[in-house]
Amino acid sequence: MFENLLPPLNNHNLPYPDTIHPIVVHFVIAMVLFAVLCDVIGYLTKNARLFEVGWWNMVFATLSIFIAIIFGQIEAGLATPYVAAASDLNLHTLIGWALSGVLAVITGWRYIIRLRSPESLPVAYMGMNVLLTGIVFFQIYLGDKLVWVYGLHTEAVVEAARGGLLR
Amino acid sequence: MMVGSLPVLAAGANGLPYGLPIHPNLVHLTLGLFIVAIAFDIVAALYPLEKPIFKFLAIPLTSSNLYDVGWFNMVAAAIITFFTVAVGFYEIILAEPDMDIVSPWGLGAMDTMVWHGVGGVLLLGLIVGMTIWRGFQRYVWREDRARQVQWSYLLAGLGIFVLMFAQGTLGAHLGGDFGVHVTADRLIRAGINPNAELLNVVIKH
Repeated sequence: MFENLLPPLNNHNLPYPDTIHPIVVHFVIAMVLFAVLCDVIGYLTKNARLFEVGWWNMVFATLSIFIAIIFGQIEAGLATPYVAAASDLNLHTLIGWALSGVLAVITGWRYIIRLRSPESLPVAYMGMNVLLTGIVFFQIYLGDKLVWVYGLHTEAVVEAARGGLLR
Repeated sequence: MMVGSLPVLAAGANGLPYGLPIHPNLVHLTLGLFIVAIAFDIVAALYPLEKPIFKFLAIPLTSSNLYDVGWFNMVAAAIITFFTVAVGFYEIILAEPDMDIVSPWGLGAMDTMVWHGVGGVLLLGLIVGMTIWRGFQRYVWREDRARQVQWSYLLAGLGIFVLMFAQGTLGAHLGGDFGVHVTADRLIRAGINPNAELLNVVIKH
């Protein structure tokens, strides 16, 4: 129904020049990791100013992850994953959606902490920061594999897939 | 070569002594931190206009909070970018791109790598310069002003976004078109079916 409204797919199997998802995830990866770093340094040095930096970076990460998921779904749908790549793509998708919920809840929790006691962070929140960092690193690892090992949306893989060579 | 885990295969097949390229991951940090630093300084500079919005959202804040994000994110961007550029040069030295094709911008592999390398050093210089400029505004020139940053600084930041877009697109060409350090692309060019080969490794693993 909408086929004729979109530009034709290019040699990356995309209706636009290059993948957008890896660009949007800059703002999830960098902001979450830097927020956690600011929280840790602020926690150890008792510098509440850094907690503010951590909070605002978390807000930015939470807004960004939903945009990242939209482009991630579009590009996953156009990725034509071959059998070897499929399970990692599925897991990356599952964790990505889950991470949006996790991030939104942690940022909501942080909003309450910031209102009630802006000068300190509870130990439980710092524990959640550690867990969050772990999930983000694993998600980066999976995304890296999709691009750099399986080569989804790279010219050579798209060409091979169109030629039926990846069975 | 096929025995062992996927990273072992990938390490052999992607032209690097490790399974996944590191430079593209550090790029997330450089770009994310720089762009958000400028974005928060812009939001802070326009704070008087946004006051009702934050009030409506029930988010208490002062503009100095926002300027803190602008400053600390910029410092972090400057520090991390030394590593981004250093690792980038290491991985570009080990690149074995397809020399016979041209990118969507009409550049060959060598031209793309040279421009991306030059662009990387230029951007490192600009980011460090912006950080020093930002530091002077914060601690010396505008310490007592309500608006901590000059409009010219924000404008320079927006200009650097444009350079970053060009630099990022060149990098995307290196991975996505020339297949630099992409395991599957290199297997295909070697006449090997990456599906069969990678699946083989997954099952054995």
